[in-house]
Amino acid sequence: MRGIWIKAILHRTVLFGAIWGVLTAPGVEGLVAGLFAVPATVWLSLRLMPAHHPVALWRLALHLPRFLAGSVTGGIDVARRAFARDMPLNPGWVELPVDLPDGGRVALGGELSLMPGTLAAGSHEGRLLVHLLDTEAGFDRTIPREAADIAAILGAKRTRDGRP
Amino acid sequence: MADLATIALTAAGLFFFVAGTVGLIRFPDTFTRLHALTKADNLGLGFIALGIALQAETWAQVARLGLIWALALLAAGAMAQLVARTALEREDAE
Repeated sequence: MRGIWIKAILHRTVLFGAIWGVLTAPGVEGLVAGLFAVPATVWLSLRLMPAHHPVALWRLALHLPRFLAGSVTGGIDVARRAFARDMPLNPGWVELPVDLPDGGRVALGGELSLMPGTLAAGSHEGRLLVHLLDTEAGFDRTIPREAADIAAILGAKRTRDGRP
Repeated sequence: MADLATIALTAAGLFFFVAGTVGLIRFPDTFTRLHALTKADNLGLGFIALGIALQAETWAQVARLGLIWALALLAAGAMAQLVARTALEREDAE
């Protein structure tokens, strides 16, 4: 438990520090303000989103190419449908059980909204509600893989209620 | 060479923004429209950021463009879910 917190403080300090650096570069005086702003942001983020899960950053990095490829095919697919004369749409819903903590479910939902043909609309009794742009196109086949990737990023130490 | 790539990439970006808007107008309901907006605009902004990044003079500017894209992605993913959930609740209530 303690290790998770130390890791979270480290990760978030690096993340917010990098963002601060990007925003204030190349000025040096901005870095001084960052010495106060970054720790304050880390503290606030830990209050708002406590560190329940060890986040595996390298798995997040490994996931990035898949995410980018999905973004491109998702955008092209929706553009093709929008411009097509007959506008091929066959919308419908799927509901699937997702064994992820709340934060993970939101992350999965956000990701699915950018992947081809899927859109998350919240969850109901632990089941994720996903809207499909075309129920025949097999968009829902990729969902378990995305869920598994996010579960892996959040580490193996997870239970149904999301507490380690 | 960089100028040509910038023109091509930002043109591609504009194409996807137009596609998202056309989808917003043509698609039949809230959910299908959300598909069009989030996915096409995400890709459109990505292409525009990439195109402009080629004109950047410092790496900090490139990083700033990347940051803008990442924040817009996070916002799009979160907003799409919130709007879809609210639309679904309203549909159920009717």
